[in-house]
Amino acid sequence: MRLMTTAVLAATALTAVTLVARPAAAQPVELMLWHMEQPPHRVARVQELINSFNAAHPDIVVTQEPQNWGEIYAKAPAAIAAGTGPDLLFAIPDFTPILKDIGALTSVADFVAELDAEHDFVDSTVAAYSYDGGVWAVPLYNMAMSLWYRKSVFEEAGIAVPTTWPEWKAAAEALSNDETWGIGLPANRQLYTDQTVYDFMVNNGASELYNEDGTIRFDNPQTVEAYDFYAQMQAMSPPDSTSWTWGEAEACFSSRACAMILQFTVITTYDTQAEGDPEDLGVAPIPHAEGQDESYTIAYPNAVMLLSQDEAKREAAETFIRYLLEPENYGRFLNMEPGLFMPVTADGATAESFWNDPLAQKYRSQIEVMIENAQNGMLFGFTSGRTFPSIAAISAQNILAETLQRIVVDGESPADAVAAGQARMMETIE
Amino acid sequence: MRHGGLLPLLLVGPALLFLAVVLGAPLVQAVVLSLEDVKVVGSEGSFVGGDNYVRLLEGGAFWGATLRSLVWVAGNAVLQTVLALAVALVLNERFRGVRIARTWVILSWIIPTVVVVMIWRWLFSNSGGMINPLLIGLGIVDRPIGFFSDPVSAMATLIFINSWRWFPFVALMMLAALMRIPDDLYEAARIDGASTMQRFFRITWPLLQPTLAVLAVVGTLLSFNVFDVIWLLTAGGPSAGTQTLPVLIYETAFKGYRLSEAATVSVLTSLLLMGFAVLATRVLGGAQR
Repeated sequence: MRLMTTAVLAATALTAVTLVARPAAAQPVELMLWHMEQPPHRVARVQELINSFNAAHPDIVVTQEPQNWGEIYAKAPAAIAAGTGPDLLFAIPDFTPILKDIGALTSVADFVAELDAEHDFVDSTVAAYSYDGGVWAVPLYNMAMSLWYRKSVFEEAGIAVPTTWPEWKAAAEALSNDETWGIGLPANRQLYTDQTVYDFMVNNGASELYNEDGTIRFDNPQTVEAYDFYAQMQAMSPPDSTSWTWGEAEACFSSRACAMILQFTVITTYDTQAEGDPEDLGVAPIPHAEGQDESYTIAYPNAVMLLSQDEAKREAAETFIRYLLEPENYGRFLNMEPGLFMPVTADGATAESFWNDPLAQKYRSQIEVMIENAQNGMLFGFTSGRTFPSIAAISAQNILAETLQRIVVDGESPADAVAAGQARMMETIE
Repeated sequence: MRHGGLLPLLLVGPALLFLAVVLGAPLVQAVVLSLEDVKVVGSEGSFVGGDNYVRLLEGGAFWGATLRSLVWVAGNAVLQTVLALAVALVLNERFRGVRIARTWVILSWIIPTVVVVMIWRWLFSNSGGMINPLLIGLGIVDRPIGFFSDPVSAMATLIFINSWRWFPFVALMMLAALMRIPDDLYEAARIDGASTMQRFFRITWPLLQPTLAVLAVVGTLLSFNVFDVIWLLTAGGPSAGTQTLPVLIYETAFKGYRLSEAATVSVLTSLLLMGFAVLATRVLGGAQR
């Protein structure tokens, strides 16, 4: 009996010593991913990729927790302050200054350079996260706005696709009749309107909101002209466009009530709720003012931030991002919403996994134009490396859209409205 | 039954303690926050005393939102009372199918807010909505109307939608009060030759007053704090035309990243509502005595 007891004790001690001797090797690194791609089919696609990654990397376990764009700006800083934040968090550019400002971000410049060498990022997507001497997130997918129309409608009216503002206005006027609004442009105090307003600004050389010293340069002649032209075009939109978000514009286009709209994509709604005829769906660069040599557009390069300060977790997070950007996986990732999320890498744009999707195949010519348009993408507050934390508040308060409402709803002159917009931005900076 | 002693305090104590924790603690925290300059949630701030209060009371945003809140509350009170009274009077009659009607009328009240918003947003839409074609077809207007296009029509439309959502609740309260009025009173009035209008103004209306008074207090507090319908339909626009105090608080905190300023608006709003509640309770108490 004593021998038995001794043997059991020895075995227990040996097991304990063995366990103590190899603690880290047996414990996989756990990563928590927060993203805001909430629709169930997107969550399912992300989970598919996570499952494949976890199976191929037994030393890392990635878990996802979908979040809400409406809450994340408040939730993430609070979670980070409480020590319960995620290790990876999806972002749009104006989200990063908030987290950088509270010290939650470390530059990923070296990692992005490594990925750029391998996959060749679209320059504008990296530029949106490059400021204050660092790169604060890794670009993952892009969304750029384009002009959407029906080719048959243009042909019937004898209109060529407009490339300049005078042509664009003439086209909208020609297409306006009792049943159709010439164009559907929003005038809501909301992000969609910020985006379309900025489309007009960048196409009149008014892309910069900040001077190099961080002061606001919103009130300038180019901006005033852009607002003036926007208001003229918006007058040819439905009256309820002052309360539009993206969905209403798409509905207006799908129902043929609007002849043209500015949108990131209409492919899914056009395919499922309208004619679904890829030969008739037109997409073009947004027309520019006379005197400008080419078209620009607003682009939202979505990215992922690495929040963990733990070295092992950061390495694991980098491994996961490398995995996502591999061409054989990247297309599956982008096609969590086919026809909306554009590649940010050169090899992603040609990846078989991207073009294999049935919807991508059906609307290939439109998607190619969207990718081309995205090359000239810009985002307010994130141009020329002139990025300051106050852009988050300017963006969140929709001051670009608010300025438009002063003209469209309150009847102010474009010059007065832009001056008031400048004052609002300066107040926000204080 | 004995009054006084420790027993009542012991019975009420847990509830008071619970209220102190769930209501008092956040309120104290809001007051503390309003005396600081915290911007983003989770960031640190420093003590600034009453600066936020001075800036807020000197600026136009707070007073504008307060005025819009009063318009909102008054508009909802009038419309809901009129709709609810009309429906309650009909439902108080005896007719075939009255039971079904009494059940059916609460439909708009039990539908989730998001669904209500989606229904009305679609009905008022210029792209496929039903209201504009109907108005044009009836010759009332010759061009589609933008119901949310300007501050006045947006506020009026919001009041209509919110009243449509809430009037069944008020109607049921009124119906309960109407059903308590003895039939003998109406019978006696009829014998004395009183007309329908006279019976309404001499019997129904006076006897409804206590219920209406309670509904006025509860309804005012409920209406004042409505956020979801406004936010989902107009987000306070256009041109801040529907920005009530709850919307201003949300925008300041979570879109403007000025948490302390939002807490200041919250504290002032709480004082406003507490003042109203105390006043209303005294008036109601006096009336009942």
